[in-house]
Amino acid sequence: MEMAARADESDRLQWAPLPASAGIGLRAQHHVHVLSASPSVAWFEAHSENYFADGGSHVACLAKIRERYPLSLHGVGLSLGSADELNRRHLAALARVIARFEPALVSEHLSWSSVDGTFANDLLPLPYTEEALRHVSGRIAQTQDALGRRILIENVSSYIEFTASTMTEWEFLTGIASESGCGILLDLNNIYVAAHNHGFSCHDYLRGIPRGAVQELHLAGHTRVEREGHALLIDTHGAPVCEAVWDLYRHALQRFGAVPTLIEWDTDLPTFDVLQAEARKADAIGAAIHAIAA
Amino acid sequence: MPSGPPSMPSLRELQTRVMDAVLHTATERSAIEAVLGLIDAPVERAVAGLEVYRNTAHSNHVDALHSTYPAVWRLVGADYFQQTAREYLGLHPSRSGDLQHVGASFATFLGERHGRDQFRYLADVACFEWLVQEALLAPDHPPLDLEKLAAVPPADYETLGFDLHPALRLFESHYPVHRIWEVNVGSEAEPEVLDLNQGGDRLAMLRRGGQLEFHALNDSEWRLLRALERGATFAAAADAAAAAESGAAEFDAALALQRFVALGIIVDCRLAG
Repeated sequence: MEMAARADESDRLQWAPLPASAGIGLRAQHHVHVLSASPSVAWFEAHSENYFADGGSHVACLAKIRERYPLSLHGVGLSLGSADELNRRHLAALARVIARFEPALVSEHLSWSSVDGTFANDLLPLPYTEEALRHVSGRIAQTQDALGRRILIENVSSYIEFTASTMTEWEFLTGIASESGCGILLDLNNIYVAAHNHGFSCHDYLRGIPRGAVQELHLAGHTRVEREGHALLIDTHGAPVCEAVWDLYRHALQRFGAVPTLIEWDTDLPTFDVLQAEARKADAIGAAIHAIAA
Repeated sequence: MPSGPPSMPSLRELQTRVMDAVLHTATERSAIEAVLGLIDAPVERAVAGLEVYRNTAHSNHVDALHSTYPAVWRLVGADYFQQTAREYLGLHPSRSGDLQHVGASFATFLGERHGRDQFRYLADVACFEWLVQEALLAPDHPPLDLEKLAAVPPADYETLGFDLHPALRLFESHYPVHRIWEVNVGSEAEPEVLDLNQGGDRLAMLRRGGQLEFHALNDSEWRLLRALERGATFAAAADAAAAAESGAAEFDAALALQRFVALGIIVDCRLAG
């Protein structure tokens, strides 16, 4: 009886992997189009919290979309980097969403958004210290144990860095993956934004990430603003991917090989065909890189 | 690449000070000054970086409130809503990683703020909109299995109870809130002038599939559903309905039960104890 139960559990965990091609970030404004037109898209990624509800139209739409497309779930609210205890209620809600939609990948952010139970509901950067590395690695391991699966952790855009940091972001991210056993979701736009804002090299960042650790890439657009005589890049997800990030994508594919790549767009959301065009561009770049490699 | 100062704050100390600077509008200047020493940048750039987080957090929270309370937004206008939201968030900061919970205390806040002035109906509108959100996010449920009900022996009728649909919410107000909501949500036209004294609401709101339905309830029906919602047996709920101040003499609890089953308001039956 016990062995049969284990076999069932094992079967349920054999979710098909995402194809190593370009997917699109699913937004509620596109639910109807996706369901009515069944557009050609390799896979979708949805924000986990948007489907925490027990019922309703969003949940029903995602269930139908899941029947037709591979899916990844991407969380923004677990606050893995917080000094607080892990939020068991949020984790339980995430587990329910995973059980319902059976995503191929589950990802969270290398950031914090709460302390003492109060939430900024934004992705705040961590100090890159040994204390934070041990703490966050432990919480990711707890999360993976609770969910019964490996998760991916994404680097975030940042606008401040801390004097307390004793290592680079890529050293910290690599250390987290090594300590916790999580995979890495590398957001190339976030690297570009943070590199510009803090003055480090995007290529040093890529070279600092182990080849086999990256399971997914993100691409998005950002906004440039002038503040106190300095140009600040803000990760708005409200514009096409810029040429410099496409170039970084070419370098990332050469280093990490073919991995699922997501086109993200959140503010000033365009019509779906614009997102498909970005995905096709990503696929074309991938095909060219791999043709050369072959 | 910073090498770390001699006395580093703990992760919790750092996060507490940063959160103060990101969220707390009342002590804005002092909170920002308290965190500048933690940031590895000249003051102007540190302030500019913090501003990005302050703006994002605030707009995420206000957008969540706007999404939950579109009728309140339209009634008071964008400027006043933003100002009220800022004050509300100062007293009731987000306590969840799920933004749908941000507005949980907004109706209470509006009631405390406007309970005695000309805008006292706003709290009821906000309460209505919170219940709409709850109904929209609640689980689905199939209709009552009539064979299950038919199988209950007559001897057990005294202990028979009924479950209401999980996406059902009961709402009452002294004001015509449902009408206020209808003319303010999804309409770009100027809101029509409504007489706040035209009569209040007692209604059942129900989401079935993707659609919200509203069913007006008389005094007896209201009491019957309220009692069932609290777990009373049908016999006890019928007694409560019979105590209604108006229309109780004409009220037929069995007919009301049939109506609520047909409407999908009652979805299951059980024997108490």
